[in-house]
Amino acid sequence: MYAPLKKPNMGPLLQVRGLKSYFFTRAGLVKAVDDVSFEISAGETLALVGESGCGKSITSLSILRLIPEPGRIVDGEIFFDNQNLLRMPANEIRRVRGNKISMIFQEPMTSLNPVLRIGEQIAEVLRLHRGMNNEQALGQAAELLDRVGIAAAGSRLRDFPHQLSGGQRQRVMIAMALACDPQLLIADEPTTALDVTIQAQIMELLAKLARDRQMATLLISHDLGVVAGNADRVAVMYAGRIVEYAEVKQLFSNPVHPYTRGLIACIPRLGDKGLLKTIPGQPDAKTNSADGCAFLGRCPTPCRAGGPKMPQLQEINPGHYVRCWRA
Amino acid sequence: MKPLLEIRDLAKAFSVPGKSGDKANLLQAVDGVSLEIAAGETLGLVGESGCGKSTLARLVLGLTPADRGEVLYRGTDLCFLSPRQIRPYRRQIQMIFQDPFSSLNPRMTVGETLAEPMLIHSLCSAKERPQKVEKLLNQVGLDAAAAARYPHEFSGGQRQRISIARALAVEPELIVADEPVSALDLSVQAQILNLLREIQGQHNLSYLFIAHDLAVVEHVSDRVAVMYLGKIVETAPADELYRQPRHPYTEALLAAIPQPDPNLAGRPAPLKGEVPSPLNPPSGCSFHPRCRYASQICQQQEPALNQLGNNHQTACHHSDKVGQSLPQST
Repeated sequence: MYAPLKKPNMGPLLQVRGLKSYFFTRAGLVKAVDDVSFEISAGETLALVGESGCGKSITSLSILRLIPEPGRIVDGEIFFDNQNLLRMPANEIRRVRGNKISMIFQEPMTSLNPVLRIGEQIAEVLRLHRGMNNEQALGQAAELLDRVGIAAAGSRLRDFPHQLSGGQRQRVMIAMALACDPQLLIADEPTTALDVTIQAQIMELLAKLARDRQMATLLISHDLGVVAGNADRVAVMYAGRIVEYAEVKQLFSNPVHPYTRGLIACIPRLGDKGLLKTIPGQPDAKTNSADGCAFLGRCPTPCRAGGPKMPQLQEINPGHYVRCWRA
Repeated sequence: MKPLLEIRDLAKAFSVPGKSGDKANLLQAVDGVSLEIAAGETLGLVGESGCGKSTLARLVLGLTPADRGEVLYRGTDLCFLSPRQIRPYRRQIQMIFQDPFSSLNPRMTVGETLAEPMLIHSLCSAKERPQKVEKLLNQVGLDAAAAARYPHEFSGGQRQRISIARALAVEPELIVADEPVSALDLSVQAQILNLLREIQGQHNLSYLFIAHDLAVVEHVSDRVAVMYLGKIVETAPADELYRQPRHPYTEALLAAIPQPDPNLAGRPAPLKGEVPSPLNPPSGCSFHPRCRYASQICQQQEPALNQLGNNHQTACHHSDKVGQSLPQST
């Protein structure tokens, strides 16, 4: 374990404040991300947790201003290294993407170009952002592959993605993301497509790189096991909003929001043969736009305290925020 | 008691075209697997991608012809029956697939999907069918009105409920479930696992439950078989397997499960390297290049599946050393 590096006189590396990303679909307005705020300091890992459709991927894409049509960021501020990314001209943000902020995705097969050799794909990043010539870039690519644990890196440069296993492809993705020594890495379900033993290797690699380079990580995952082992702080999202935000040990030892409690309770644990606890119903995209508490319909202890109003995110302990009328 | 399903020395190899000019290579997907499933029992099958677990499922269902071996269902070998002869057995063995989006016909209503197997096996008259469909939907926790709707109107969890209802439509004795919950969200996964257990109690079903998630498998299974590169390396009663694994691969798989407990953070990855290519498996014990117990004998001699007592079998030369250092999870 490492302590997050706190630079004096400097705010957190990334500050997201009141982010709202809405989708204007033909069927109506979908508030995919609604008033989301969080921060990440250098060397720190923040996990965004939630089920499909809760808005965690749209949050991360909003940071890079990559959300697809008909989505739009309608409000909020995203400060990265004291610059507001949302006000940056398009050519400047292009210099941030893949350079100071990089991203790795869930499915390495679809995020690598199948007809380009992997050395070429990594070198492209270096030529673009670092102005290297071809030879330098390929040399650097071999070094990067070596750093992410690919054996005989020099000879693998000429491989195509299909010649690699899933774990190796994800290592190539990581090498590409690290090519410009980013200050922030966004890892969107980086191990979901991988087997458990390979998953353990990849998470270990990411932790080591974060430690060595004081890189901040935004880890997006639905797997609470992965989150528990790798995050410093956790934000739990439901229906576009953060419902609980706490330091990782606090969240797992003292979950307060009924959704967080439900998620932790429904993990099958080794040695427990009883019926699993469940959260009745399913996440419903339509509740995204509801006025009251979005979790009301699935809540085991529904309350009427708030009526049709949405509870606010309130600090119940230092650093522990919960969005629930009962908190 | 005679087992419901008995698999004996089942094997299947696929021919993979070699690089230009080379001869085709043989990929031994399933290599001499023997297993038993008793009536009302759940056998869990775990292993990493490419280990042959889905091929094994297809062999049991007769969807892929076996190279050798026997699949005995109540004593009848299903492997070499003609299509006409195998039909009554098809009714007894049903399947649930991983992806509820691609395993339901998008152009059939849910009612048609559920009625079709009854029609094919002439189980009931056309008049009775709507009632039976309604009963099935209720059993899996869906509203009767669902019968008139199409699959795309349902969420992943609901579609998996429809798949389960379809499997139940012909009143089978054995259900082969291939990764039935791995495409689902956590809160929905728990609902489906509970549903599978519920209907098992009601119908005295047997399951062959295939998954890569050891915690899920351990939760639903009576016995668990662990597969590596086409072979079974360990079988044991579920609680014994996780308390005292006797094969190094099982031990490593258990240690690799991310625990939802931040106090266990920073554990080293239990296995180095990746699964070797099944086209060119290592000599001797196929696990030896990644094994921390490996010695010379492991490179030369393939270990046989040994009985350790209490239904616990393992294929390892060093099984007595395995499982001593496993951190006990809560």
